[in-house]
Amino acid sequence: MLEVSKIDVYYGEFQALFGVDVRISERECVVTVGPNGAGKTTLLKAICGLLSPRTGEIRFEGRSIVGLPAHRIAELGISLVPEGGRVFPQLSVFENLKIGSYVERARRGFRQAVEEIYELFPRLKEREKQVADTLSGGERQMLAIARSLMSRPKLILLDEPSSGLAPMVVSMLFDFVADIRRQGYAILMVEQNARKALQLCDRAYLLESGRVRLEGDRESFSAEEHIRKAYLGI
Amino acid sequence: MGILLLNALVNGILLGGVLAILAFGMNLIFGVVKVIHMAYGQCVMLGMYVIYTLTSIYHVPFLLSCVVAVGVMAVWGGLLQILVIKPLLKAERLNQLLALAGLIIVFENLAHVVWGADLRGIEIQLPVLSLGNVFIKTPSLLAFLGSLIVLLVLYLFLYRTYPGLAIRAIAQDVECAQLMGINPGGIYLLTLVIGGALTGVIAAFFSPIYSVHPHFGGSFTLMAFIIVVLGGMGNLLGGFIAAFIIGIVTSVSAVLTSLEIAEISALVIFILVVLLRPQGLMGVRVSK
Repeated sequence: MLEVSKIDVYYGEFQALFGVDVRISERECVVTVGPNGAGKTTLLKAICGLLSPRTGEIRFEGRSIVGLPAHRIAELGISLVPEGGRVFPQLSVFENLKIGSYVERARRGFRQAVEEIYELFPRLKEREKQVADTLSGGERQMLAIARSLMSRPKLILLDEPSSGLAPMVVSMLFDFVADIRRQGYAILMVEQNARKALQLCDRAYLLESGRVRLEGDRESFSAEEHIRKAYLGI
Repeated sequence: MGILLLNALVNGILLGGVLAILAFGMNLIFGVVKVIHMAYGQCVMLGMYVIYTLTSIYHVPFLLSCVVAVGVMAVWGGLLQILVIKPLLKAERLNQLLALAGLIIVFENLAHVVWGADLRGIEIQLPVLSLGNVFIKTPSLLAFLGSLIVLLVLYLFLYRTYPGLAIRAIAQDVECAQLMGINPGGIYLLTLVIGGALTGVIAAFFSPIYSVHPHFGGSFTLMAFIIVVLGGMGNLLGGFIAAFIIGIVTSVSAVLTSLEIAEISALVIFILVVLLRPQGLMGVRVSK
């Protein structure tokens, strides 16, 4: 479904990614772990068009998406949930969901989609009219994920969904991600919390200093000596 | 004196309605595109010349001239976005400000060349209404009512439609808005077209009240800017309330003292707000 091949990404003169290869198939949940500054967020930004790779190729459903502006890539069905649940602070919860369905193919079923979201996240229905700024960190993250679902995406990119949240909220959040996964969405998640993220995924990548160090399916990846020591603490 | 004050108060409120649209346009452009349209009042001036030319020289009916002027000014706003603002989006703040301030000189001299320095007004006779001791000029009343309708339409547009929602979203977080599939370039153009159409609407409301000359716009750009700062930059409701405050203050102080003092009093309020409440009366302080 998504094939990232040998991309180099720069911030000005600083190179953040070196020949990174990542692929995701339909209905697959892929996790990328790695330390701070390894280029995990950069990878997501390059896929969704907020950054443009200097070299390399990104193909989505067979067509090249390198160089397309971010809003065009969103229309194709790739939806990024930014770190920290960047919801629109002065829009109400309902309006945040509505803007999630801005892309043409999602507008028609907007009403029904909102109802489905409210069933999945009853908390959001309770706070429907509140501006998003007044939500707690966990609620904001859930709203951000719900907003992404509203666009009927084919591939969801999750950037550090658990960052800054209390442990109990993190567990709830991963339960939601597991729910979404069962519904058949393809997911690429970048996460510091390697233990929880790895339980959820089909395959994983390790990104260190802008390079892919390791890749594999869940069992073999989690069994690697380096992963066990540095990321799982066992 | 009491009757005079009452009349001034009513006139201030009526003027406040039109000022509210003026400030709304400038505020919308600032909130979305993050540039200050320094030549906004000058666009109103150009719109008034369009109406003057059509009605007085080509004898087009007044209402039709107004509709044409709104269209012309909408296109004018769009051209401004494409030719001036878009190339400067990534430029330094100061350079953007200088370029837009430069437009004041361009527009005013354009008016000089095309229409000359004389006062140009259209001839429309409308009755003066009287309510007891309060006298109301019909054009002022129509402008006020028209302004409220325009503001209501703008409110419905911003709060009930997808493009309106996209405008509000992009004002809050451009990057995130792109992730929703919103094209910033398209929304910026739409914003300038709406802002331009509003200068045409204001020109239509002003034409039966004032005669136009090449420097007509200056005081209105200043007034719009004062209102926008007073209400809090980017805060549309704050701007609405501030428009009435400024409308009342200028028209009441004009009666109490003189026209010059009226403008000074608006500026004094402006300076006090910048000193004491830089975030505006209803603005939210942004910490860095």
